Amino acid sequence: MEYTIKYKAVNTYDALIDEAFWQFLLRPEENTTQNVRMARFTNSANAIVDTSTNTFGFPICRVHLKKPLDKISFEASYIISKQIENPFSALDSVVNSVHQDQIRSIDFKIEHERFLSATQLTQLLADQAPFSFDQSRSLFDNLNDLNSWLYHNFSFKTKVTDVNTTPVEFIEKGAGVCQDFTHLFLAIARLNHIPARYTSGYLHQGNGYQGDSQMHAWAECYIPEKGWIGFDPVNNLIALENHIKVAHGKDYTDCAPIKGVIYGNSKKNETTYTVEVEAREASDPDVILTSETYAPMPFKQQLAFQAQWQQQQYQQQQQLRQQQNTTDTSQN
Amino acid sequence: MSTTQQSIFSSYEKDPKFYDEIFDEKGNVKQVYQTLFDLYSGHSSQDFAKLNEKAKASFFNQGITFQVYNDQEAKEKIFPFDLFPRIIDPEEWETIEKGVLQRSKALNHFIWDIYHDKKIIKQGIIPLDLISTSANYLDQMIGIDPPGGIYNHISGTDLIKHSDGKYYVLEDNIRCPSGVSYVICNRTALKRALFGVFNHYNAHTVTDYAQNLLEIMESVKPRGVDEPNCVVITPGVYNSAYYEHSYLAKAMGVELVEGRDLFVENDFVYMQTIKGPEKVDVIYRRIDDAFLDPLEFRPDSALGVPGLFSAYKKGNVCLVNAPGTGFADDKAVYTYMPEIIKYYLGEEPILNNVHTYHCSRPDELKYVLENIDKLVIKPVDEAGGYGISIGNRLTKEEIEKVKQTIKASPRKYIAQPIMSLSVHATYIEDSESFESRHVDLRTFCLLGADKEFVLKGGLTRVALKKGNLIVNSSQGGGSKDTWVLKK
Repeated sequence: MEYTIKYKAVNTYDALIDEAFWQFLLRPEENTTQNVRMARFTNSANAIVDTSTNTFGFPICRVHLKKPLDKISFEASYIISKQIENPFSALDSVVNSVHQDQIRSIDFKIEHERFLSATQLTQLLADQAPFSFDQSRSLFDNLNDLNSWLYHNFSFKTKVTDVNTTPVEFIEKGAGVCQDFTHLFLAIARLNHIPARYTSGYLHQGNGYQGDSQMHAWAECYIPEKGWIGFDPVNNLIALENHIKVAHGKDYTDCAPIKGVIYGNSKKNETTYTVEVEAREASDPDVILTSETYAPMPFKQQLAFQAQWQQQQYQQQQQLRQQQNTTDTSQN
Repeated sequence: MSTTQQSIFSSYEKDPKFYDEIFDEKGNVKQVYQTLFDLYSGHSSQDFAKLNEKAKASFFNQGITFQVYNDQEAKEKIFPFDLFPRIIDPEEWETIEKGVLQRSKALNHFIWDIYHDKKIIKQGIIPLDLISTSANYLDQMIGIDPPGGIYNHISGTDLIKHSDGKYYVLEDNIRCPSGVSYVICNRTALKRALFGVFNHYNAHTVTDYAQNLLEIMESVKPRGVDEPNCVVITPGVYNSAYYEHSYLAKAMGVELVEGRDLFVENDFVYMQTIKGPEKVDVIYRRIDDAFLDPLEFRPDSALGVPGLFSAYKKGNVCLVNAPGTGFADDKAVYTYMPEIIKYYLGEEPILNNVHTYHCSRPDELKYVLENIDKLVIKPVDEAGGYGISIGNRLTKEEIEKVKQTIKASPRKYIAQPIMSLSVHATYIEDSESFESRHVDLRTFCLLGADKEFVLKGGLTRVALKKGNLIVNSSQGGGSKDTWVLKK
């Protein structure tokens, strides 16, 4: 499966800003199921773009603006290929009680301490938890139940919550966006001693859905012997081929797609985002290859990509030649 | 005794409940203080009133002031300076010096371990909760190797002398402890006011601190740098310790910068100068962790440098002290210090710890709630003496209120027996004479790559209000010049 992802953010300010720094966490993760074939990042001011990595090792782009302006836009585009992995493959063979012992051992707690402790955005006391685990069932079944429980009991609604909404507030409101669903999911999983991390990424909702959509979020939980599995409570889904992961962290703060520090007189700013995710055929031409700037790619990957591209070119030429041949023969 | 002698020490009350630094049990002046006592007794109270004014003017003219937070209005105040120095004899000092060095090293090992393997937790010596619930534990620091392996380059250990005549550690400060500039200014002020007394005593200098701090900073330069460029970063002129930041930068001969003077490009830190950008290698930061980098920590920080943390993580710049040391000087971790020292150094602690009750443990919480009048209650993560309640000073209603606060979040509080801080003769303006006041001692210890230094001297803080036990400058304390005598 291949996807084209386009992200665009436009920031407008009510007064000139003199200097600014932005940090973007947008590039799809390279992992066993995802391969970034092409990456591009540009900004309308042609400001310097650096690359670095965040705390969790995910690549980030930084923009340092040194000239005054009141509007700037950023565009990122990626072509990725995605393999499907079956999350159910190793689950049935492991007995639940083994997991329960394992996740309670001190070594396990230390190893996953980062994703077991509550943060401000995932703060929830045990007696506030609206969902409890059934100890006779497996960890996976419980998490799956939690996933659908959230889906059925909360409604997806924008503008009722903001980036600082806590799980307790979300429970009161009964509605929110993917961030809120994910934070509550994480809080409950962590209360049940399951390492859980916030995951940001793109969701492919089927071709034709363009614009308006934002970056998506879901939860990843660590199940011993199986590893990290993604749960998407907004859609009651296990994260599979339609979920393109960008990064993970303790909560939204670690995965914010855009962070900025602005110096100047501007008191108000407005940001509009658009995200487009489209499935494509592997043989579709890499149109966005023609752009001026590329985010650096690891060398090995570049080579592999080059080889792939050359092969593609070769195939296309072969096809062309065959077509020509056929036309030739028909003429004959 | 002549009449003048009687007048300046006449209102000095000796209280057998407290250890007196100057007088022994029989009321005789101790040997180290004898010469000084004789010299001072030769002056009239009018002389001291004049000298006191001079010393105050000297502080004011040097701009040695600080600000008190939580006041209705933020005010610049002179840090009150006392004319009667504290004297520590060489043997006593040797124990202190070894003791604080031992603690600093143990803490450094401890921080390394927590941000790497967490062996001490796996061994069951300290509980995981102690770390994971600490507000000052930064998981961003996991796996990072700071240059030279040093986290707490600068430690300030607070000591008191109890009524048994022994030193006890009250707390370790490893989040940019302040106060060292006062140590140096106190010496200068006393020399200006009473130069003659220095002829009779052979005290160690304190002015070598800045040179040693610079050497420590240079010892932890990033890899591949020959001559590191060091700077001091300050939150700015409104910070209570701004004087100290500017003093240290000047004394070390390095630039004093604010967040906006620095910027990060390709994970290297640069300083804006009139000659263009200049790379910065070691930063003595007097900005709290949360404000260091708005892209990594508090996004509303206007004091930090965007991208600084990733430059640090890459090893391209060294921060002094390292971010995330705060969990280790937490007052709850303090109670494990004897175990921490034994675990990492295989040594017995040289300095005593004050016995501490953890309100997070049910049986100890019960004891605390029943014996609140005999205890000092401290929040675990506040510095500067804020939020402390002393049991025997509280009214019934206040005790109830404190009990409620503790019960609401027991992890946040510890309790210690009320320690009897030793007393020292201190010049009191109102009575124009010397009276006894409670004192403590803040020491300064530096750790670098293959280098260590303990300042021979320290900040003796005085609680100027009669009977008061809290000596922090933010709570109206003053200070004394502190002499460590040469052997």
